[in-house]
Amino acid sequence: MLTMGIDIGSTTCKCIIFKDGSEIVGRAIVPLGTGTSGPQQVFQTALSSGGFVREDMERILVTGYGRFSFDEADTQKSEITCHAQGIHYLFPSARTVIDIGGQDIKVLHISGRGMADNFVMNDKCAAGTGRFLDVMAGVLNVRTEDLGSISMEAENEVRISNTCTVFAESEVISKLSANVRLADLVAGIHTSVATRVASLVFRNGVVKDVAMSGGVALNQGIVRALSRELKTDILIHKDCQFAGAIGAALIANQELLRQARDNKK
Amino acid sequence: MAENNVPAPKREIPKSRVMVNQQTAQIYANAWAAKEKGEPVGWSTAIFPQEIAETFGLPVLYPENNAAAISAKHLGDPFIQHAEGEMRYPINICSYARMNIGMADKMSGEKYERVEPAMPVPDFLLLANNSCTQLMKWYENLSRNLGIPIFFVDCLFNYYEEPPAPHKIKYVRSQIENCIKDMETFFGKKFDWDRFLEIQQRSQINRKLFNEIVKLNSRTPAPMNGFDLFNYMSPLVLCRGQESTTAIFEQLKLEVLELIATNTSTFTAKEQHRVHWEGIACWPNLGYNLKMLKSYGVNAVMNGYVTAWDVAYEPGDLDGMAKAYQMSSTNSFSTPSIMAKRAKSIKDYSCDGMLCHVNRSCKMMTFHIFVGHEIIEEQTGVPCANFDGDQSDTRVFSEAQFETRLQALVEIMQHNKEAQND
Amino acid sequence: MTDLNQLLQEFSDVAANPRIVLERYIAQGKKVVGCFPIYTPEELVHAGGMIPMGLWGGQIAPTVAGKYNPIFTCSIMRSCLEYGMTGKYKGLSCAMMPMLCDTFRGMSGGWRAGVKDVPLVAFIHPQNRTDSGALEFLTEEYKAVRALLEKYTNCTITDAALEKSIEIYNEHAAVMCEFVDVANDHLDVITPVVRHSVMKSAVFLEKSEHTEKVRSLMAELNKLPIHEWKGKKVILTGITAEPDEFLEIFAENRIAVVGDDLAQESRQYRTPIPDGPSPLERLAAQWFNRFCCSTVHENESNRGELLVEMAEKQGAQGIAVCLMRFCDVEEYDYPIISKATEKAGLHSLCLEIDQNTQNNEQSRTKIQSFAEMD
Repeated sequence: MLTMGIDIGSTTCKCIIFKDGSEIVGRAIVPLGTGTSGPQQVFQTALSSGGFVREDMERILVTGYGRFSFDEADTQKSEITCHAQGIHYLFPSARTVIDIGGQDIKVLHISGRGMADNFVMNDKCAAGTGRFLDVMAGVLNVRTEDLGSISMEAENEVRISNTCTVFAESEVISKLSANVRLADLVAGIHTSVATRVASLVFRNGVVKDVAMSGGVALNQGIVRALSRELKTDILIHKDCQFAGAIGAALIANQELLRQARDNKK
Repeated sequence: MAENNVPAPKREIPKSRVMVNQQTAQIYANAWAAKEKGEPVGWSTAIFPQEIAETFGLPVLYPENNAAAISAKHLGDPFIQHAEGEMRYPINICSYARMNIGMADKMSGEKYERVEPAMPVPDFLLLANNSCTQLMKWYENLSRNLGIPIFFVDCLFNYYEEPPAPHKIKYVRSQIENCIKDMETFFGKKFDWDRFLEIQQRSQINRKLFNEIVKLNSRTPAPMNGFDLFNYMSPLVLCRGQESTTAIFEQLKLEVLELIATNTSTFTAKEQHRVHWEGIACWPNLGYNLKMLKSYGVNAVMNGYVTAWDVAYEPGDLDGMAKAYQMSSTNSFSTPSIMAKRAKSIKDYSCDGMLCHVNRSCKMMTFHIFVGHEIIEEQTGVPCANFDGDQSDTRVFSEAQFETRLQALVEIMQHNKEAQND
Repeated sequence: MTDLNQLLQEFSDVAANPRIVLERYIAQGKKVVGCFPIYTPEELVHAGGMIPMGLWGGQIAPTVAGKYNPIFTCSIMRSCLEYGMTGKYKGLSCAMMPMLCDTFRGMSGGWRAGVKDVPLVAFIHPQNRTDSGALEFLTEEYKAVRALLEKYTNCTITDAALEKSIEIYNEHAAVMCEFVDVANDHLDVITPVVRHSVMKSAVFLEKSEHTEKVRSLMAELNKLPIHEWKGKKVILTGITAEPDEFLEIFAENRIAVVGDDLAQESRQYRTPIPDGPSPLERLAAQWFNRFCCSTVHENESNRGELLVEMAEKQGAQGIAVCLMRFCDVEEYDYPIISKATEKAGLHSLCLEIDQNTQNNEQSRTKIQSFAEMD
């Protein structure tokens, strides 16, 4: 039984195909978000990656910011439910999940069955999100994906006090003109994000094991800073960016099984 | 940087400042000593009728003043983060409240590392909402979180320009009297009305002295860097009814008169422009603000904030005292009332402009700035500039923005001067 | 159209078009007085033969209010100032404004600067309610309010008329409490949007008119069989829970609203005006009986327990704090509400309410997740 999960985010689209809810047999990621050709592209690319066609998919479940506008989907579920399932698949011991997305920060508490039982999200402002990091990378003239490795060279981390993205930008610029080392600046930016995220985590408390999902989790500098703020190790899976799509595909599979059971009755 | 390695001589701290520091240290020490003896210690809002606790001889500390001191030393962030994180207080509430509520919670736990100036956990709270309504919510939360009582004097609000109506004075007076009765019961002490009268008299002496000192800064050039007023406020805030405050202000007055006599100033740059500062100080950024102002030759000779403790009444007149406490604090007046006062200040202190701190934590003061802009323009003709900041949250102020706004204000003031001279 | 549908349409029309309601009253020769939230002695207006209409802002993006109103003040006040400054409140004889928070303190100045054609009747409640002088103070304060109302409208407000108006208001409050219970047996008809329109229309209509409509509605509902709601149930708390697009998210996720502690809704009706020696004193005494409201000082607060009790009684699985953006007094109450909710094993939601935005996506995610949970 093949099920597909698509996570249509604000800046990227991710797609996973599961066989019988136990083996990943197709995947794709496209750096285009909702409202673009991203969803169609990720859909087609994932199918090709496994040599499949649409009709092979018994159920398609979509999640993420753009989940209401993808016609190919059979159904949709919130990112919270999907990330919970997805991380549970990747790390069955995880109980706190931190997802720093393009414009959202979500912190979930999940049960041993991968169900979210509590969650908190950031206020509307972009501080501490992927968007914040993108703007900072732009100011520093580096790629967002290099921020992590750059920060590893930091010797004297510099404090960035403004959380407002616009003001932080000018703060970083003025530090650049004062010849502050790039690595030290980036480390400071990471701490700024980590502090904001930690504040959200503390609202519902740290319950181990702590795992991260979403693209920003691939930034080792953020992970290191966050781990320091939370005073705990954080589990990072190489597929953490796919957590939402994984969860979506798994839930699609569960729904099919439930339907089959109900039909038998 | 300099090749010449002889360090510049450190500027001597004036005696008055030493006395202020000693006084502050003493009241903190008194509070801790009381705590150690198992005697009650209180926390009070900034403009609660201090005469009452002073008469009872109860040690009282002031969380707003404490938060200012801690944020000036950049030590407040962990408490703010604790309030926003585990304690779940939304980020929009006043940063003094976040800092203090977070600190109070930490203090009550084990493993608390004292951050100086440290206050002991209070046993009672003194609340007057003349400064704002958020104080009421802040103290409610302290009271519930710590399980301690509040003695409350609700000072209402003057929404129009008239002085408080008789029924308002009656209500505030009733609360003062009931407060005293309730405190007699709670503390098991008799209120000494003779001593109360003495403290009222002393409070009036101190308040008048402070006004005289502030008035000295209306001279051109000003003998004081206006920011000094922020430091010298603390005796008035913390010890308004005490003799030690009289001694400090008498000393300070002497020093300022000496500065005038020698035509010197604690504003160490050339005074090219004089501004009226509106709003609370940006405590974490005071150093930067001053540096910037000096670099543009701007002396913030006067600010509205320091007038908040000008609580004027006839000693022995309880109605007068009730009225006075409803008329203190910038935030107990309507904007037309307050801006009329500012306009007078701007004229009396020969200010060329007004620099307004849009304090993210203080809605009422910010309303005054927004609604009052027109009034200031109309009544004084001087330019106003706003900048964003916060009294103790370090994440709001932007150095780049401050300099841009200040520079723009300076350019307008310069232009106005030149136009006048033409 | 059935009687029921017609009634529902009427409630909806009133809630959505207060301007039309205002014009209708003025065309009838009535004087109308605006009443800012949350608590005003609108019975005084009613007793003068005038119509009190609530000023609860609207879902707009202000462009001129920012002149007098800092951006970090509550969005309701922003919208109200915008409406005032752009003439949308033209026709009001005056507006009553209680000084319940710092934004109101500031707004009294903002309104007087920006809306000169609607005079302001400002007043303040005593927060130290246990003080022996507080009741006398509020009675005198209400006297001053009455005098100003009479001045701005040329109407007379007699004690006799006030006694009658108080009875009308008490009757209305009782009917609203009854409606909330009846509604829970017919959640298929009384959807979150419908429930809100019944509540919201109350702030715009003359009270006895609204009482009649609600009574008719309940009569129609009682003709229908009791509906067993199969989806989730939620209690709402906060200042307001609007607009309709926001409430529809609950319905889309098969979540019914089965109780509320909203300032615009049930908080208005749970404290009847008590008996007393004079009608003004009765009005004043009501303030002293108010409870669990963030704008009313209480040493102890049982707001968390109150909400949990409401949830448990109605079988709700969650309590949604509808947090008005920049409403500091509600924000101070947030920790105790969310902690009490979780302690009781219920789900706690925090949903931002902002009149100055059209974006509900975050709320959509949160509400959907609540629906998807065990």
